[in-house]
Amino acid sequence: MNAADRQQPLVTASGISKSYSQVSALSPLDLSVMPGERVAVAGPSGSGKTTLLYLLAGILQPDSGNLAIDGKPLARVKPGGELSRLVGIVHQQYDLVPHLPVLHNVLAGRLGQWGLLRSAASLVWPQDRGLAEAALERMGIGDKIWERTSHLSGGEQQRAAIARLMVQSPLLVLADEPVASLDPARAEEILRLLTSLTEDSRRALIVSLHSPDLIRRFCTRVIGLRDGRLAFDLPSEAVTGPTLDDLYHLEAPFGYQPEPEPETQLVSASPSNETRASRLPPPGAFR
Amino acid sequence: MENRRLLTLALLAAMGWSLTNIDWDSPIIHTGGGASALRFLLALFPPDLTPEFLGIALRATLYTVAYAVAGITAAVAIGLPLGVIASGTVLRESSSWQRPVMIGARAGLAGLRSVHELVWAVLLVAGMGLSPMAGILALALPYGGILGRIYAELLQDVPQPPLRALRSSGASPLRTLLYGNFQMALPDMISYTFYRFECGIRSAAILSFVGIQGLGYQIQLSMHDLLFSQVWTLLAFLVGLIVAVDAWSTHVRRSMVS
Repeated sequence: MNAADRQQPLVTASGISKSYSQVSALSPLDLSVMPGERVAVAGPSGSGKTTLLYLLAGILQPDSGNLAIDGKPLARVKPGGELSRLVGIVHQQYDLVPHLPVLHNVLAGRLGQWGLLRSAASLVWPQDRGLAEAALERMGIGDKIWERTSHLSGGEQQRAAIARLMVQSPLLVLADEPVASLDPARAEEILRLLTSLTEDSRRALIVSLHSPDLIRRFCTRVIGLRDGRLAFDLPSEAVTGPTLDDLYHLEAPFGYQPEPEPETQLVSASPSNETRASRLPPPGAFR
Repeated sequence: MENRRLLTLALLAAMGWSLTNIDWDSPIIHTGGGASALRFLLALFPPDLTPEFLGIALRATLYTVAYAVAGITAAVAIGLPLGVIASGTVLRESSSWQRPVMIGARAGLAGLRSVHELVWAVLLVAGMGLSPMAGILALALPYGGILGRIYAELLQDVPQPPLRALRSSGASPLRTLLYGNFQMALPDMISYTFYRFECGIRSAAILSFVGIQGLGYQIQLSMHDLLFSQVWTLLAFLVGLIVAVDAWSTHVRRSMVS
């Protein structure tokens, strides 16, 4: 919002690590995110992206290191109201309560601020209804407000989950693989909605994302994770296809492969097919 | 494998030994029973359908329904709070004071349901006399124990990711219970409560054998007077009642799913 706010990082992580039953998921990692930043987290499956997001969300506690959001050490922030103002997350599977009307799933973003009685009463007389209506309207599913959540399509559920986050209104917005399995047009729309949650310059977004094109268009910065370690930390303009390919490459038999688009893969695969085919006996040789 | 063979041998030996215990001289089936059974069956044509008796049967049916409704309502009031405590959704095993409370609730539920409603009825009638309250409590205590146990399991067995998402959007355990566990478990909880209500009607009819008003009491009176055609009428009312409750619960479940 102003210069004073910008001086303090929103996220300060120093040496945070996490392992699950002695298998290291995240090696000691330092990270600092300023308000206003939109950070993409890239990396192959199992590289520690979700672990990092869950540590930042306070869902998991780090084995070591210090983590503070808006200057408040996360270990000392009580779960509930205070934590929900600092950080909120959209899960990969959206994780809404399927039996509730959309309205109540969205209003669940207020549960950290409401007292117990108000929370209970809201199930009968919805509280702060205007907030939920505005959020759903902005997500383009205002007409679904009374629909049972399980009746919504996957895309609509994702919008409802983002609407919940909007109602929760945390300083740090996290999104775990929000555009996995979405077509390009929908992926763009979802990222546009997510980044709109952090338009206010006090806030920041951290999102796991793989496409260099989307990273350049929607993020200001990208960090690469590989095997639970920080592989790079770059401004998003500096990211090119090869930067990310290095991050994702398997033990590739043909060495470097360009863009992992289906067409180019087919083309690059065809020469080796030909050589293999030429080694086979011609059709009819065994007659 | 060796153990299993030994067990088979032991069981066979036990069975052989039990055969020596039978009094082979007297017939297994009571020979006079055939005539009584035939008389009972023949009384079906026709059952007693006189207006006065239909009035009695209807009143008895209403009594039985009233006991079942009151008993199950009280059972839900007992089972719900105990079930929530026992489920471990709000209280945590790790806390030093919450753990004993949870164990207490689980033990309480086990104690309530391990005594059969007829035994409760005998105990309560002995303690409180033949009051309606004794009949209601005789249903409410064991059914509360059963409902609480099932509620606890249903509340535990809901999908976890939505609960995690609720907690990460700031919901306390109690609020997570309200918005998550309850919402997801409610259809099963209601449908199981309905099933138990059906069982409660049968139990209420049986309970009236200890002297509480209802269908069982009337069946007992008619049996004593060997008025089998009246027994058939009363049985028909009992069956009709169960069928009606079943239809009602099906209707409620359907309207909840859609």
